[in-house]
Amino acid sequence: MSILKLENVCFSYGTKTVLEGVSYEFEKGKMYAVVGKSGAGKTTLLSVLSGLASPNRGTITYNGEDIRKLDKYRFRSKYIGVIFQSFNLLTKFTALENVELSMDIAGVKGRTKDKREQAMALLSSVGLEEDEANRRILKLSGGQQQRVAIARALSYNPDVILADEPTGNLDGETQKEIMEIFRELAEQGKCVILVSHSPEVARACDEIYELKRTKNERSRKAAV
Amino acid sequence: MYVVKNALKCIGRSKGRNILIGIIVLVISVSACIGLSIRQAAESAKEESLSGMSVTATISVDRQSMMQGMREGGGFDPSSFQAGMSKLNELSVEEMQVYAGAESVSGFTYTLTATLNGSDDFEAVTTSTQEEDTGTANGMPGGPGQEFGGMGGGKMGIGPMGTQGDFTIVGYSGEDAMTDFLNGTCSLTEGTMFEEGTKAADCIISDELAIYNDLAVGDTIVVENPNLEGETYTLTVVGIYQNSASTAVSGGFMRGFSTSSDPANAIYMSYPALKDMVDTSAANAQTQTDETTGMESSTAVRASAAGTYSFADVEAYERFEEEARAMGLSDSYTITSSDLTAFENSLVPLENLSTMAGYFLLVVLAIGAVILIVLNIFNVRERKYEVGVLTAIGMKKQKVAMQFLCEIFVVTLAAVVVGAGIGAVSAVPVTNSLLQNQIQSQESTKEQREMNFGRGGGFDMENLGATPSMDGMGLPSGTGQMQNYISEISSAMNFTVLFQLLAIGVLLTLLASVVSMIFIMRYEPLKILANRD
Ligand SMILES: Nc1ncnc2c1ncn2[C@@H]1O[C@H](COP(=O)(O)OP(=O)(O)OP(=O)(O)O)[C@@H](O)[C@H]1O
Ligand SMILES: [Mg+2]
Repeated sequence: MSILKLENVCFSYGTKTVLEGVSYEFEKGKMYAVVGKSGAGKTTLLSVLSGLASPNRGTITYNGEDIRKLDKYRFRSKYIGVIFQSFNLLTKFTALENVELSMDIAGVKGRTKDKREQAMALLSSVGLEEDEANRRILKLSGGQQQRVAIARALSYNPDVILADEPTGNLDGETQKEIMEIFRELAEQGKCVILVSHSPEVARACDEIYELKRTKNERSRKAAV
Repeated sequence: MYVVKNALKCIGRSKGRNILIGIIVLVISVSACIGLSIRQAAESAKEESLSGMSVTATISVDRQSMMQGMREGGGFDPSSFQAGMSKLNELSVEEMQVYAGAESVSGFTYTLTATLNGSDDFEAVTTSTQEEDTGTANGMPGGPGQEFGGMGGGKMGIGPMGTQGDFTIVGYSGEDAMTDFLNGTCSLTEGTMFEEGTKAADCIISDELAIYNDLAVGDTIVVENPNLEGETYTLTVVGIYQNSASTAVSGGFMRGFSTSSDPANAIYMSYPALKDMVDTSAANAQTQTDETTGMESSTAVRASAAGTYSFADVEAYERFEEEARAMGLSDSYTITSSDLTAFENSLVPLENLSTMAGYFLLVVLAIGAVILIVLNIFNVRERKYEVGVLTAIGMKKQKVAMQFLCEIFVVTLAAVVVGAGIGAVSAVPVTNSLLQNQIQSQESTKEQREMNFGRGGGFDMENLGATPSMDGMGLPSGTGQMQNYISEISSAMNFTVLFQLLAIGVLLTLLASVVSMIFIMRYEPLKILANRD
């Protein structure tokens, strides 16, 4: 059974329609690649999936339940791990603190010390050293920030991982390591949805979903 | 819990902003603390003094309301006023004793004051150059000094006008009535006190009078009814007392009018003994009717009675009014307590200060609230992105708001605590110096007012026609009453102030936070994150 299901989802920013009648099913234990040209609405799709944006029409179900009926915050903090394209990390906090905070928000049980160790382990698994983990976000490079964002999304062991260009700032070597992590998660039964322009990443996935520009978007482009 | 943890972390991460907020709250709380302390000091000064205060009161004819009544009823006419007054006598000791039976009364003392002349061997102490006019008591009716015992003085059913004698003789109901001896103004230096309640004509005289007339304990003195030549009374001097306030009190303008108002010329004896004398005189008196005014005048010795009720506390005093009225005290009489009035006057500067402190407090709090609200709005707007991130990763808006509230609260609390400390240290000196200013201005306005009335430190206009003087001797207290203001407070800060301060801190924090909460609640994470600059 699919864990996330889109049925005829439409979304527009004001008059600008970005998603038009999107229907798709995401299953557990699989890795998906969402591809499409820049501005096609990939980020928007992830926003809709994570409950940050509500579709104008159509329904999204999580484990068969309409996500509008779920507690949005609980849904975002526990069941879905989002790696934002622009990271959205707390810049005043250290990498470790960012990870710890998301664990706290998700309500991960355990002693503070244990959770810290867990967070540290997670950060080192995405390739951050201890001294980088204890550094404030603004003092980390783009790639390091991206890895913190990945660690944060994984920290509370969500069922679904939504990653917006998770390897966009990473070198080939690191990208491979990260992809391995995602693969492992999929094998553990998670649903991993990646947005990527990289054919390499797309190839590593089980399914590829190509997002086309909406009609009015295309006609506007054509008119130019 | 993580909300609090996060809040603490955030405080540390934006020191600049929090120091700014802290300083503002600090200033507010120091000001508020001093303001509150002043109010508290005024309150507790009042309470403390009141709780430890035994109140005394007198019943007298309510002249003020009578005058007022007449004024309203078609012009004030002194002669009809006097006629009215003569009908309405001060209460007799017997009448006063009835009210002394009221439950609230804890003690009752009374005095009888008579005025008598000396004799060849016994003369009044005079230092006044006006001796010739007044000292010999040759009867100049209507002269201000000769209106004995105040306007309602003619107690014994005699016309209000009378001849003033050289001496004031006071008969005391008991030793507890002799306030001057109780408070140490006077003390016996030779001989013994006359016996309480004795009918024997024993008396004590002042050392000045003793020296002036070369008298010693055991000697006798002869006094004469100023209204009837030849009517004499012989008193035995059993003791000589010293009046430490004598020279101080005898200065001032009243002295010029009458030797009998000089405390040196006061003779003290027991009430029954003096009462005997006065009764004898009344029995022998001849009555004349003045043809022009139709007023009766008698040759009897003028005497006036005064009673002082004492109460365990202010509440008892306040109850007394009701009880006395229930016992049939007419509305023409008023119950007043000069020590309560004096006490209330002594609080005036402190209470003025307290009122000002109240306004000051309101202004400080209003400004403080506005500043805090504005700062909070800036704070939230500046941290919009943070709010966006936190809500995007699933932190509930309420929790974000809670976190922000926590931050402000901790900063405010810390500032309030430091402010309370600074306030506690500075409240007392600040209050005292403000109080000093207040007293000075109080005194200078009072002086100014006196000057306007043409009496540089003369007696108090407000007390005119109020109670007879409280020394129980009928001696006019005369000269400008030196008001004893409460001029110093010892401690201002207490738990009440601390509690109020904390309450203010909490209230300000909440008020300021409510605004920022509204902002947080309106934020949509997607929009914030999409619009990030
Ligand atoms: N908050 C917004 N308000 C209005 N229009 C928006 C907003 N966010 C995105 N858009 C528009 O919606 C369209 C889809 O944007 P989206 O970010 O989903 O594209 P994308 O596929 O993620 O592109 P990229 O590959 O460059 O990240 C774009 O044309 C964009 O300009
Ligand atoms: Mg995008």
